[in-house]
Amino acid sequence: MEETGEIVRVEGLKKTFTLSRKQQKIEKTGLSHKVAVDGLSFSAYRGQIYGLLGPNGAGKTTTLRMLSTLIKPDAGDAFVCGHSVVREASKVRDAIGFMTSDLKLEAFFTPSYLFDFFGAMHGIDKDALANRKKSLFSRFGIDRFAEVKVQDLSTGMKQKISLVVSIVHDPDVVIFDEPTNGLDVLTAKVVTDFLLELKEMGKSVLLSTHIFSLVEKLCDRVGIIIDGKMIADGTLDEVRGDMTLEERFFETYHNVKGEIV
Amino acid sequence: MKLLALIKKEFSRFFSDPKLIITMIIPGVLIFVIYSLMGTFMNEEDEGYDFKVYRTGDSVAVSMLKAAVEATEGYTLTIEDITDAETAKTAVKDGKYTAYIVFSEGFDEAVGAYEAGSGKPAPTIEIYYRSGDSESMSFYSIATSVLDAYENALANKFDINRGDTVYDYSDAGKIVQNVMAGIMPFIIVIFIFSACMSITLESVAGEKERGTLATVLVTSVPRVHVALGKVIPLSCIALIGAVSSFLGMVLSLPKIIGVSVGSFVGSFGFLSYFMLLLLILSLVPLIVAIISVVSTASRTVKESSGYTSVIMVITMVLSLVASFVSGIGGWSVVVPILNAVVAMQNILTGSYVVWQCLVSVLMNLVYTAVIVFVMAKMLSSERIMFGK
Repeated sequence: MEETGEIVRVEGLKKTFTLSRKQQKIEKTGLSHKVAVDGLSFSAYRGQIYGLLGPNGAGKTTTLRMLSTLIKPDAGDAFVCGHSVVREASKVRDAIGFMTSDLKLEAFFTPSYLFDFFGAMHGIDKDALANRKKSLFSRFGIDRFAEVKVQDLSTGMKQKISLVVSIVHDPDVVIFDEPTNGLDVLTAKVVTDFLLELKEMGKSVLLSTHIFSLVEKLCDRVGIIIDGKMIADGTLDEVRGDMTLEERFFETYHNVKGEIV
Repeated sequence: MKLLALIKKEFSRFFSDPKLIITMIIPGVLIFVIYSLMGTFMNEEDEGYDFKVYRTGDSVAVSMLKAAVEATEGYTLTIEDITDAETAKTAVKDGKYTAYIVFSEGFDEAVGAYEAGSGKPAPTIEIYYRSGDSESMSFYSIATSVLDAYENALANKFDINRGDTVYDYSDAGKIVQNVMAGIMPFIIVIFIFSACMSITLESVAGEKERGTLATVLVTSVPRVHVALGKVIPLSCIALIGAVSSFLGMVLSLPKIIGVSVGSFVGSFGFLSYFMLLLLILSLVPLIVAIISVVSTASRTVKESSGYTSVIMVITMVLSLVASFVSGIGGWSVVVPILNAVVAMQNILTGSYVVWQCLVSVLMNLVYTAVIVFVMAKMLSSERIMFGK
């Protein structure tokens, strides 16, 4: 795995959710189960950014949550830095940094305190943590605000702190669910710059999105997911061929679903 | 080290926020202030009065009245004879005199000659006073009770408990103990519960709702550490609140029931206090753990506080049952919370058994450990933590 540069390998992941009556109404279905991810397989490579592209409800978030060990797959397995998400959840957690808008930091504390706290959560020793804080805080311009409570900072700065805290333990892989969702243009730029910066630092990034331009701007490889299945997977150029990514996506979508909207 | 960091985080969250500290300590201060004020008002008449009273007519009852009033320290009675009733009434009405007392003519002889079954009008005493004025009202109550006693004495047929012999064999300490035993365990449990509730809901359900708990779960920290990292520090903090309320209650109690702190504190031995402390120490983590597990299962603080209120009612009922139903058997040691209430009650009545206290403490700690384990399992459950 190391030789080929493969850092994340997903093998036949499957996840089914039980739907409550209320959810059945929302989804307009009489079925009590929903297959969110259906035998998904793909690989991501060291030092690259991999984008999972798909519409809402395609299974992107579920896939990333399984990779970050927050939820367990019903079938299949995935390996992050060689560790199984099913059998070695704790090792996987130390190898990844996971970012999503659902995960928040306690705004009462200062960036410096939170960095130290999450460093301790990952079992990083104090000296290494102090060095890492110094370099990351100055690299992302947080040093001036290190002792200001997060609740008193701007949205962009808050986002930067979340990003930096998620890589406190120097993970090889950063998993990012919908990185620019719901952010204003300035904060979104903070995030995309950060992702490019991570790539420069030699990290591997796995992200999910439904924004074509984001994939074209950032990703080396892309996988198109529709209804929990991987429809296309490869380098950006391989997937889009002679079309734009958007054209290619809608063509694929039409082929699979037989409809555009 | 991870557990230590989690515990430290809870402490620094609490101790660096003055608002949270105040919410923990203020109930105790308020209880002390309110109860002390109540006690002061209730016992205000003890300050004493100088009664100035006009009198028309005479009776031996007057000297009894004077003796009764002046038997209490700080009270004096000055009596002036007057024949003009109108002047006397005006003086009382205007508040210049405490009261005006009128004995019907030849009162004592008339009383001596009077026969109850004769149908003739009885000799009378009239007291003019102001019920809205505490001094005048106080004199009126003393006067009526003394005169009633005088009337009873005249028709005396037999006596109960006459003389200086001590008939009541229970000592002051015992009386205090009985008052305490009935109500104290209930109050202690309620104080502990409310102290635990305010911080635990915010810290566990609040963190879950805000998504900050999930951020911790993404790290490799063991789930048991996350559960303990809540229950241990929150128990310590809740203990501050419980102790504050308890102190407020204990320190103001002497003013309410008129017993000095010394006789209250002195009525229990060291072992009693030690057992009480152990029981309280075992109740706090148990209640924090119960609220934590409910908060973990709930999606929002609101939902959690709904469930917690139900648990609080159950706890109150358990404590009340123990307070007012006597003779609960040894089986109660296996019932969480109830065991501590019964044991506390026994300590306060001076009839406790050490094994009962120790087993109760142990059982509560075992329950706490089980609940922490359940909470850790819940933290690992994707349906509970990340279910929609």
